[in-house]
Amino acid sequence: MNATSHQSRSFSRRGFLGLTAAAASVPLLAACGGGSATQGGGGGGAGGTIKFWDMPWATPAYNDAAKGIAEGFSGANGGKASYQIIQWANFYQTFSSAIASKTGPAVSTGGGFQAFQFEQQGQIAYADKVIDKLKSNGQFDDFLPGVLDPFKSDKGYVAVPWQLDMRVFWYRKSLFEKANVALPTDWPSLLEAGKALKKVGAFGFTTGAGTGNNYANHSMIMMMVNNGGGVFNKDGELDLLNDRNVEAMEFVLELVSNGIVDPAAVSYTTDNMSAQWKDGKAGYGLFQVNVPQRVGDTSGDLLVADPITGPHGDKATIVFPNNIMMYTNTPSQEASEEFLVYYLGQLKQLWQKKLMSALPVFKSITEIPEFADDPNNVKIVKDWQPIAKTFASQGNTLNANLAALDGGQALNQFSQTIITGKSDAKTALQAFQSGLESVLKK
Amino acid sequence: MSSTTAQSGLARARRGVAPGGSGTVPGKRRSKLSAQATRTFFWLLLPSVVLLVLIHGYPLIYAAVQATHDGNLLQTGNFIGGENFATVLTSPAFWKAAQFTLWFTIVGVFGSWLVGLGLALLLRTKIPAGNTFKVLLLLPWVVPIVVSSTAWNWLVATPDSLIPSLFRNLGLGTPLFLADPTLASITVMVFKVWVSFPFMMMMISAALASVDSTVYEAASMDGATRWQQFTQITLPLIARSTYISWILMTIFCVNDFPTIYLLTGGGPVNATTSLVVLAYRTVFQDFATGPGVAIAFLMTMTLVVISVILYRQIRKSSVE
Repeated sequence: MNATSHQSRSFSRRGFLGLTAAAASVPLLAACGGGSATQGGGGGGAGGTIKFWDMPWATPAYNDAAKGIAEGFSGANGGKASYQIIQWANFYQTFSSAIASKTGPAVSTGGGFQAFQFEQQGQIAYADKVIDKLKSNGQFDDFLPGVLDPFKSDKGYVAVPWQLDMRVFWYRKSLFEKANVALPTDWPSLLEAGKALKKVGAFGFTTGAGTGNNYANHSMIMMMVNNGGGVFNKDGELDLLNDRNVEAMEFVLELVSNGIVDPAAVSYTTDNMSAQWKDGKAGYGLFQVNVPQRVGDTSGDLLVADPITGPHGDKATIVFPNNIMMYTNTPSQEASEEFLVYYLGQLKQLWQKKLMSALPVFKSITEIPEFADDPNNVKIVKDWQPIAKTFASQGNTLNANLAALDGGQALNQFSQTIITGKSDAKTALQAFQSGLESVLKK
Repeated sequence: MSSTTAQSGLARARRGVAPGGSGTVPGKRRSKLSAQATRTFFWLLLPSVVLLVLIHGYPLIYAAVQATHDGNLLQTGNFIGGENFATVLTSPAFWKAAQFTLWFTIVGVFGSWLVGLGLALLLRTKIPAGNTFKVLLLLPWVVPIVVSSTAWNWLVATPDSLIPSLFRNLGLGTPLFLADPTLASITVMVFKVWVSFPFMMMMISAALASVDSTVYEAASMDGATRWQQFTQITLPLIARSTYISWILMTIFCVNDFPTIYLLTGGGPVNATTSLVVLAYRTVFQDFATGPGVAIAFLMTMTLVVISVILYRQIRKSSVE
């Protein structure tokens, strides 16, 4: 026996297999491991402190300001609130594992449809009493039209909206002047504008479907809704293969075949997309609020466009009403409600400090100078907010299934298929419907 | 001392027998020591074993429960046996992801091994600033993957990025490295090789350092060519390290989530979706916990089988 074989013996088969199994179990651990539960104490810390979890909705300055607001809470019975930032990466896992281990928050912001997912699992405290308090203090009447209704379920208000993540068309004025073409008002003029922009080296339907970029998803659904279609029918059932959706996707495919959509957009992250806007490659496209600030061009060349009219006279866009939810695991439901009412009353500060990249839900905030001085903001409130519909369109109420739609594999694959022009509209929609059905039935 | 005596001495030394000792331990004393040692080892090992069971055992068992139930991250749901596995195994997306994982692993393992081997051999020669090169060559492995994937994204993502611009200026068109399904697959694999070759280089360098240079001198005197020395001496002598590095890199490749997800997200149109990316997206984007964990289980089983096969190769190479 030589030295090598001796070592080989000491490196036993059992030991090796154990190590291998441990290493190979990484995907299992990754798949089922819990997220960080952070501080102990479900819903509240020592002395009944309300735990408020918030997301990085904007720059770190936003979270500093939000923390200041939360920690400034002083309840009737001396209740306090603590503030915790939860990163977007694996946020649902973080919330789920914390809630399962009773170490979750009492109140939180979060994903657009998160409240409905946790409601389905019996973890949400309904906000009806909060709504009653908002009615008595006058804030209820301050809500912009239609923003509260999607949160009302048969059992009560699942959450309370606090900001609107709008999708609106933006354009670069100088590129339209260079292309000598008018702003689109309907689909045929969008096509013509796109062709003209292409001649000056710009794209007329800017979007992106790369890692973590949902703008292509939103553009597809927006075009369906803009044509009177949508993912669901009025009864809330899946209805992707309706004629309006087919027509809308055939139009987007026409944009693709005319080179109006950037052929590399399928892999664009939001940063890539922002760079296209900044570098003058993007002439027109769907984006969020505060694009000039986001892409770093506040010269006044980037402007909000008018809503366009679909071939049947429909005019609509999509909106994600982000919301604040309360959980059943709380040191005091009254304190949770008191905190939420307090927090909603302090939201104005965030827009006064110009920290938000979303629309406020309260009319009074849309009127403060810090917000209303920006003509783009005014145009979005005046022209786009009234025609905004949720992902649930043509249905009315939000639900847990929408979480699997927004950012799910079926929609991602569908959007990528369309903007690469690899399929006809009906085939792509059929695959989308099948993919979504297999997810939603679970 | 004759050579026989020397070999015998070395063998005794390897067995831990002191000079002049018989090599045997009195039976009574041995059993007493053995019993004490067993108890001591038991108590010393217990904390580690408990920790290992908690770290690996609990998630494995919990994952097995999730894979056989129709619940979600919060609730276990109802027992449905192997339905999740059947769903996964009859899904075209699973087999497409398996196919990509296979190619990604083959290119990742052998691509990084070939580059690592070449550089390890190059660094054995006396080149100016060799140590500086070693450090520089380690950078792809050392730099956080988030940073390197962002850098690669900016190099190739848009038609105006550096590398597509370079191709255009050379009259080679404007390749869309992340937007074309075939090019995206190739780009992700090249990125994996780029990230991984320093690991292979270090493994091989360590193995090469243990090879006695007199072996090569003897081979030269016997008239062996450079190629013969490489194939007949170098490769067999580093075979053990090679197989171990292949096993490790296979596990790294199959389990590699960030390299793919950060660069392409699995797209375009699932062209670069590997099994681990599919498992993640199934659990955390489609919220289908059972099928997602079932994918992870199937991956684990496959990895264990591959590892056992390669382990047998290690034993074989050791015996030879």
